[in-house]
Amino acid sequence: MTQYTGAGRAETTGTVLDAIIAGVREDLAARQELIPLEEIKAAAAAAPAALDAVSALRGTHPDSLEVIAEVKRSSPSKGALAPIADPALLAAAYERGGAAVISVLTEARRFNGSLEDLDAVRAAVGIPVLRKDFTVDDYQIWEARAHGADLVLLIVAALDDETLRHFLELTRSLGMEALVETHTDEEVERARAVGAKIVGVNTRNLKTLEVDPDLFGRLAEKLPHDAVLVAESGVSSGEQVELYARHGADAVLTGEALVRAGDPTGTVTAFRTVGASARAAARAERTTGGHRWSEAPGPYFGEFGGRWMPESLIAALDQLEETFEKAKADVEFQQEFQRLSRDYANRPSLLTEAERFSEAVGCRVLLKREDLNHTGSHKINNVLGQALMAKRMGKHRLIAETGAGQHGVATATVAALMGMECVVYMGEEDTQRQALNVARMELLGATVVPVKNGSRTLKDAINEALRDWVASVDTTHYLLGTAAGAHPFPAMVRWFHQQIGDEARAQCLAQLGRLPDAVAACVGGGSNAIGIFHGFLDDESVELWGFEAGGDGLDTPRHAATISLGRPGVMHGARTYLMQDEDGQTIESHSISAGLDYPAVGPEHAHLSAAGRATYEAVTDSEAMDAFRLLCRTEGIIPAIESSHALAGAVKLGRRWRDELGEEAAAEKVVVVSLSGRGDKDVATAAKWFGMVSENHDEMDEEAQ
Amino acid sequence: MTVEQPADLVSRILPAEVLTPRDSRLSARIAQCRAEGRPALVGYLPAGYPTLEESIDAAVALGNNGADVIEIGIPYSDPVMDGSVIQHATTTALANGFRVAQVFEVIEAIATRTDAVPIVMTYWNPVMQRGVDRFARELAQAGGAGIITPDLIPDEAAEWFEASVRHGLDRIFLVAPSSSRERMELTVKASSGFVYAVSVMGVTGARDVVSSAAESVVERARAAGAENVCVGLGVSRREHVEELGAYADGVIVGTALVKALGEGGPAAVGKLTAELAGRS
Repeated sequence: MTQYTGAGRAETTGTVLDAIIAGVREDLAARQELIPLEEIKAAAAAAPAALDAVSALRGTHPDSLEVIAEVKRSSPSKGALAPIADPALLAAAYERGGAAVISVLTEARRFNGSLEDLDAVRAAVGIPVLRKDFTVDDYQIWEARAHGADLVLLIVAALDDETLRHFLELTRSLGMEALVETHTDEEVERARAVGAKIVGVNTRNLKTLEVDPDLFGRLAEKLPHDAVLVAESGVSSGEQVELYARHGADAVLTGEALVRAGDPTGTVTAFRTVGASARAAARAERTTGGHRWSEAPGPYFGEFGGRWMPESLIAALDQLEETFEKAKADVEFQQEFQRLSRDYANRPSLLTEAERFSEAVGCRVLLKREDLNHTGSHKINNVLGQALMAKRMGKHRLIAETGAGQHGVATATVAALMGMECVVYMGEEDTQRQALNVARMELLGATVVPVKNGSRTLKDAINEALRDWVASVDTTHYLLGTAAGAHPFPAMVRWFHQQIGDEARAQCLAQLGRLPDAVAACVGGGSNAIGIFHGFLDDESVELWGFEAGGDGLDTPRHAATISLGRPGVMHGARTYLMQDEDGQTIESHSISAGLDYPAVGPEHAHLSAAGRATYEAVTDSEAMDAFRLLCRTEGIIPAIESSHALAGAVKLGRRWRDELGEEAAAEKVVVVSLSGRGDKDVATAAKWFGMVSENHDEMDEEAQ
Repeated sequence: MTVEQPADLVSRILPAEVLTPRDSRLSARIAQCRAEGRPALVGYLPAGYPTLEESIDAAVALGNNGADVIEIGIPYSDPVMDGSVIQHATTTALANGFRVAQVFEVIEAIATRTDAVPIVMTYWNPVMQRGVDRFARELAQAGGAGIITPDLIPDEAAEWFEASVRHGLDRIFLVAPSSSRERMELTVKASSGFVYAVSVMGVTGARDVVSSAAESVVERARAAGAENVCVGLGVSRREHVEELGAYADGVIVGTALVKALGEGGPAAVGKLTAELAGRS
């Protein structure tokens, strides 16, 4: 065996690398003149120990997709990207977004980087840092360690086997690890032969500088599966992240998309979220022989769903379906939807651990904070999506039904935002118990029509909206507020809400390092529930619980427990569970919560219940209000009464776990609760319920009890 | 040898027995009107409005004053295709205790006491809850000829195809101005007796001027192969009947009759019917 001299023998590649490396060598010589190797070695020895980058990149869960976020000013392929006045600030933003590793370019000539950048970043973050440079000499590896790096880059194409092996040994002897970068089958084989623990596939062709996003997939089978696999280049949007993650990438390295994004923190988070769901989906496909609960495009969900609608509306439903299918596949649409969700609606929403509430309940409760979205509930997700649909169809008038008023407010909001006309149908009884929301809609420029037919609640508002739609379908989009109705509404509304579950899942993995034991949500039509369930449908270990409005109790006629006590029928366009009498006449539902006061339920919930994937139980008014008060008092959060049904569900789960497993084991159990909305609108109802105001105090709320 | 899978809606959705023509009282009656050089007069009244007895008297008056075909509506809690007049009537019927099985009493009275051909018009959930086959059997036994299904499209009608063939009932589906050519063909082929052409985009209700879209819907239905096309929504006067009768095989009157019943009882229904039929 020949003694390696450290002189840095590199391969001639016949690509852009050769010229870059020539420059790197010149700059290196200049630094070596200035600081002798012995001095660098001493600095390396004095530096704090290197962090474990392999673990960081493996993530906390088999499904997590980690991000190596890069501080990058310019590149040979794209030229100048961003000025980056303060690399430390940018790196800290990446860290906040959940980046596993920060990569810092230190090459000066083409990438405009420096060791100063590395120093600044090292000082600013507590996660592993990659020194990204063209390593051709031992000196650079010592130098990386001296400047606090935990990872170096070794490009297989630029090194012969012997040098590669030597550099890797030196790197590890200093406590660091190397990202071993490959471009071809042959290079992957060489990386495997030297025992690389982190293998990168750079999908940019060194000769043409073109990105080939499918390269990762083609090389996937050959990649060493015990190593951490990193996809590099072409990571410009969630779509590519999804592609790489599906093909088995454990991490992606991205710079350009982040330095150009207005919101680097949010973009890192979004990439991790998308990546984790794609990895989960790919895993579910492998382990369940292809059956995926989450693969549910409609029109049918098991025996539920379909299109039980007048022929007059079929053309409009066809048009909507076609527009939606095209939009889903359109990157521009996705970007627009994500931009509005992020910059207007305040996504992603937080996942808050409710410690004092947990203590009272006896298990760990995490709240998915949809109450913090613009307009105060999850409803904004769906209206933004559907308003963009309306725009694509050239329709400028939006109509909507509303129960609690949350969906009406959200629709009025988006109509104002996009300059559209808006008419909201609301049961007369609901306009009285939610008078504040009526005022909000009118302030936003919408017309609110009180519906005086039938039971004067949500179902009658839907009937009236459908009557409007039949007569106005050429110019009007019916912006249905829940994941119910005729195809494509259930699948489409769910799609716009799936981000709730995707985020919650990724946040759980990041915050707890594991999936929750259960997910709980309230179910009226079921849009927040189906949105949060979807991220977890293929995780067999996660129990899914839907909580319906039990009103005065299931032993009374006054409730809205559609799945618990209903039977299948057709209403509002779908075959689903209904509250109906023997003749098929709809029975009036009752709940203290206007938003759950609906005698049908989205067809996908009917299917998940019939198939046993999700469990639905009723929560009475009184149980919901107890949970409402408990959250107010323990967490300083006033929840919507709708969401309080899910909170009451968590209380029940906690009790059940304590009974079955004992206090200690129950305290370790985790339930994620969809806190679908905030409770400002319910203050009058709650004050009356708890006897805080006299019965006559608030006339507008007269009918709430 | 592999058989090519036909992709069009008709071959995908319609079973062979639906495409096979068969004798129908309804078709025969419309053909007879055509032979007499006039459109069939099709009248609608809801069962149980204002009471079961009066709804029977009104239906008989309708049949004995010139209606060729009588549609008896089943009051339903969520009538999304109906305007305020019919909504009010069906809500009243329900409030007065109407039960679905009573529709067969009304049908039987028409079948035995008049010459008109009785059919049922109903939203689909009440039929589904009674059991599609059971409902069809009971309707046939009462002397009913078929069902008009305003919120059932052929795409969801597999069970109804089977039951209607078994019990010899006509399937009257609706076509609309918004129906695509492909859907027009599907719906026409799925229907028997006649095709119900919706003349305006909107809910039921009398209108002063009958929509100009009506003629084009009728033409398109004929082009798709419909033998008998009846037009509804908006008719309230004899002149409407004459106007529509120039191109349609039957003219459907609903809201105007319900209004007459509400204001003047069964006698007013008889009077309006005679007027619409050109007998007064």
